[in-house]
Amino acid sequence: MDIDIIFKIAAVGILTAVVGQILKNSGKEDISTLATLAGVVIVLFMVLGMIGQLFDTIKAMFNF
Amino acid sequence: MDTLYKILSIAIITCIACIIIKPIRPDFAIIISVIGGVIIVFYLLTYLGSIFETFNTIFNFSGLNSSLYSVVFKIIGVGYLTEFTASICSDTGNQSLGDKVLLGGKVMILVMALPIVTSILDIVMELLPK
Repeated sequence: MDIDIIFKIAAVGILTAVVGQILKNSGKEDISTLATLAGVVIVLFMVLGMIGQLFDTIKAMFNF
Repeated sequence: MDTLYKILSIAIITCIACIIIKPIRPDFAIIISVIGGVIIVFYLLTYLGSIFETFNTIFNFSGLNSSLYSVVFKIIGVGYLTEFTASICSDTGNQSLGDKVLLGGKVMILVMALPIVTSILDIVMELLPK
């Protein structure tokens, strides 16, 4: 649980933006939207995992 | 004391990452800020655990029944979780949703606090002379 996950998310964001731009300029708009969407989904999975872990820890600590 | 520095540095790094990523992808900026908050809270949980232990021992000395104690802690937990979600809502810009989440949290806390109030009333009623 360290700071590297923030850099990971930032890296995924920049990569999706770059890939989207490249695909858009090479004329494949539909694939670029899909690539951007895939980037967002990957990041969301990372984030949801951590938030779920946070909620479970809080539930355990405050003995819900 | 070093945890405090860790928390401060994480917050600063998260803010900088948010600023960098905002023009490129504005939706990731909000996700990064949320995750920065989650990481800080994870660092704090260890300290919270020890605080709860000391409260637990103090409460056992007082001899009150433990249901009261667990309700108080449940209320603290609900309060924190709703505040966490409400701040995410207001971060993303929909302030009204955050207020509704706060309202829901208050209602849940009230529901949990009612049995305490009724138990106090019962005690008072017994003390009154018939």
